[in-house]
Amino acid sequence: MRWYRIPVFIGAGIVLGLAWNAWSGRGLALTSNVYLKPGDETVGVSEAKRRFDRGAVLFVDARPKMIYDLERIPGALSLPEDEFDAAFSGIEPRLRNRYDVIVYCSGFGCEASHIVARQLKEKGIPAVVLQDGIPAWQDAGYPVEGRAR
Amino acid sequence: MTRLLNNVWLQRGLALLVGGVFVFASHDKILWPERFARILYHYQVIGPNAVLPPLLPNLFAVILPWVELLAGLALIFGLWRREVSLLSGLMLLAFIVAVSSTLWRGIDIENCGCFSLDAQGRAAGLALVIEDLGLLAAALVLAFVPARPAALDKVRHGL
Repeated sequence: MRWYRIPVFIGAGIVLGLAWNAWSGRGLALTSNVYLKPGDETVGVSEAKRRFDRGAVLFVDARPKMIYDLERIPGALSLPEDEFDAAFSGIEPRLRNRYDVIVYCSGFGCEASHIVARQLKEKGIPAVVLQDGIPAWQDAGYPVEGRAR
Repeated sequence: MTRLLNNVWLQRGLALLVGGVFVFASHDKILWPERFARILYHYQVIGPNAVLPPLLPNLFAVILPWVELLAGLALIFGLWRREVSLLSGLMLLAFIVAVSSTLWRGIDIENCGCFSLDAQGRAAGLALVIEDLGLLAAALVLAFVPARPAALDKVRHGL
């Protein structure tokens, strides 16, 4: 076994990968979160809590309804990404009555909140995404409600 | 058993199998690095999170498919076979650990990012782990069991 061959191989992969990313036209911005698109807005968990305390915000939960039923930010409405059209029609009047809508989902590995926020914007409802989702809200010790409580 | 694993034709077959899987696996990832990055995010293993920035999974998404492609081609064409097999084994092991950890943590991965990156992609589950353990075994045989021509075996064993 000639061990030096392994880093040589990985090095070749690094060079080709970075070159392809830079010049193929298919590359991604290496330092940016790929869930974020131009026009997406996010809000940090402490700012979201301040708005929550003032009663100035309506939270929207983009996770599946089953998970929403177990645990959610108090007062949040369910608007699952997979059932957007059906769920939206049921809550549309309440969403249109509020200017400040914050969408959240399961945190770092979850894109549903970004997708739902974009869909709301397409329907003329300004919506921002809660950074790092409900795990960050819970980690900060903020309240949640639901069957699991 | 050792005689069987030594068999040069068996080893060529294993190299074609593992190499073919790696080449096939790299195709969509090279064409769609952003989709692959999204899938890496779903695993929640290498970030992004409060500690690890998006740079780490993004770099993986950009580089890993090329290492897969090079490894696959090297296995198919018999270049640096033992070293490349070990590298392939390490990649498979990392993937098995990642999939197992999502199963353990109850994270639902709808598309494992193995081959197709679109909606028809395969979910990460126990069957996938078992299949990859098989590929890992094949890679380890290629890395650590020297190939010996069948004719030489016959001479050695007086057949």
